[in-house]
Amino acid sequence: MSEALQYFFMSWVDPTLVLLAAAGTFAGIYIGAIPGLSVTMAVSILISFTFKWPVNEALVLIAGIYLGGVYGGSRTAILLNIPGAPAAIATALDGYPLAQRGEAGRAIGLSTVMSVIGGFVGIVALAVAAPAVSSFALHFGPRDYLLLALWGILLVGSLSGGSLAKGVFCGALGVLIASVGLDPLTAEQRFTFGSVQLTAGISYIAAMIGFFGVSEILAQMHRAHLKGVRQDVSKIVPSWRMVRSHLPLSLRASGIGVGVGALPGAGGDIAALMAYDHARRSVKQPTRPFGQGAYEGLVAPESANNAAVGGAYVPMLTLGIPGDAVTAVIIGALYIHGLKPGPMLMIETPHLFWFTVGSLALANLFLLVFGLTGIRLFARVVDTPRPLLLPLILVLSVVGAYAIGNNIVDVYWMLGFGVFGYFLKLYGFPVAPVILGMILGPLMDRSYRQAMLSAQEDVLTFATEFFTSPLSATLLAALVFTLLSQTRAWKRLRGRDPRP
Amino acid sequence: MPPSTETPPPGEAFFASLLLLMSGFLLWSAHGISGFGSTVSAGAFPMGAAAVMVVCALVFLERAVRRAASGGAMSSTAAASAGDGGVAGVDASPSPAGPAGWRRIVPPVLLWNTLALAGYMLALETAGFHVSSGVFLLLSMRLLGSTRWGLNVAVAAGAVAAIHVVFQTVFSVVLPAGTLWQG
Repeated sequence: MSEALQYFFMSWVDPTLVLLAAAGTFAGIYIGAIPGLSVTMAVSILISFTFKWPVNEALVLIAGIYLGGVYGGSRTAILLNIPGAPAAIATALDGYPLAQRGEAGRAIGLSTVMSVIGGFVGIVALAVAAPAVSSFALHFGPRDYLLLALWGILLVGSLSGGSLAKGVFCGALGVLIASVGLDPLTAEQRFTFGSVQLTAGISYIAAMIGFFGVSEILAQMHRAHLKGVRQDVSKIVPSWRMVRSHLPLSLRASGIGVGVGALPGAGGDIAALMAYDHARRSVKQPTRPFGQGAYEGLVAPESANNAAVGGAYVPMLTLGIPGDAVTAVIIGALYIHGLKPGPMLMIETPHLFWFTVGSLALANLFLLVFGLTGIRLFARVVDTPRPLLLPLILVLSVVGAYAIGNNIVDVYWMLGFGVFGYFLKLYGFPVAPVILGMILGPLMDRSYRQAMLSAQEDVLTFATEFFTSPLSATLLAALVFTLLSQTRAWKRLRGRDPRP
Repeated sequence: MPPSTETPPPGEAFFASLLLLMSGFLLWSAHGISGFGSTVSAGAFPMGAAAVMVVCALVFLERAVRRAASGGAMSSTAAASAGDGGVAGVDASPSPAGPAGWRRIVPPVLLWNTLALAGYMLALETAGFHVSSGVFLLLSMRLLGSTRWGLNVAVAAGAVAAIHVVFQTVFSVVLPAGTLWQG
């Protein structure tokens, strides 16, 4: 216990780590606040600069960017009615009406405090649940990992884009991109087409920056001519009375956030929408009607989306399965730093787990500081003309891709994936499953082959074993349910598809 | 980015055809790794993934063609389809097929900026990070409509200097020096 506490506070007492936690949170808030620039993109680009750093420094920075980015999206949702990130969509529903009433400052203050409360609930849940989940995960066999990874891709595919087929297509594409190079088991060449460059595989960081960064900037160019809207913000620190009166709802919403965030594939955006829905159902007498500036409509989603961060870390650290697109990117970075997220992480390197929990807590404190200050600076950043901002981000993306291995080929891959990602987005394909497929592809390939070998390559035995283990059968049922829930027949049954 | 449109822009059937071609090629390549010899071969799992892609691409193509047929023209797929994504700012209303439709999907500003980005990448190792980044920033800002040259030069120079200090000095990222200047 004392060792756990020692590692928990390690980042709190080292000035460099404190500075990095502050810098990461600050950068996350400001990048997350710019509409169109997602937290996934911020993490993808900034993470690439940390590969040569010691692992502790990188973990602290990542924690700050993630927490800050999820929170940052709420500011533009309140001020401009443009969610800076999908997790802030629900925030705009009541946040913007509050700003229109001249209460933008109060709304920002309340959302900051509630985000911090949600963040702490998520961190406590991570500290309590992760060791238990990790012990349980030791019972997982190759079959279970295969099913869990498939389920994660299906969930991300169905939740992030709306069309399961598009999500599945992108997930399979990611799996194939990850298999380029030498097969780790037999050293046979896969998709190399005789190129020496391709035998080393394709860097998933280059793919991440391309799919999330470059494609996003190319998409933003459609609206480069639009000008920002200037807003006034006044006093923002909320009163203790106000915080106390909304605390019960905040805690309930945080619970929803943790639960949803811990599901593979479901992140802060789903958590926020579910918490908003919970608030609408459970609060009988809101301060104002929902949708017209109810504080409760701000408290619930803001608590939930930051609580989902801690929740998303649970499957990431204990199972090696990303909770959402951002944790998919973070898993990639952890591998590069020589860490193997999964049940063994807690056994082999428990100090890193407690260090991560401590870093998240520290970043959450900085969220409170930066969230309640620097509003004028924030307003200026949001007002930055796009013709100046977009090229700068492109240059940063190039630097990030080049920094992976000082190799210009990674930069070419980044551009290729960026242009392809632009067209995928244009036609409604979610790009998050591509990255998830790239991260989970090697695990799925290995698990499939291990399971098949244990069944002595007999397809019938392989299939039967999915039903003989209760864990495998449960995961299979979840997978089948996810598939069924996306069919037109199911939607018609639930009254969500009016088409005959 | 929140989708701004209910419908995808024109060219959906063409894009679905390209995806089908790509998926077919990947399936053929995956089969070429180790054929159907074993269920645990190096090519078995990639073949499965590529087969899934082919099936999905066939579904997209069938849907797109059906929508195009019901709308009467390729471009009217936009009006008829039930898309679930898209890029904010792209007008998805029906338009004449051909160059006008393509200009809406890839407007000149996007095309020129992508070409500038490709040129920047090609110039990186020859001209070095500092010069090529400065030129790219100025060019891209101008292409995006910023006509205040003084401001553009100040922002470009400041950004290159800041990146040099933060990334090369603090983060120890080795930026391309440029073979042109090394003799």
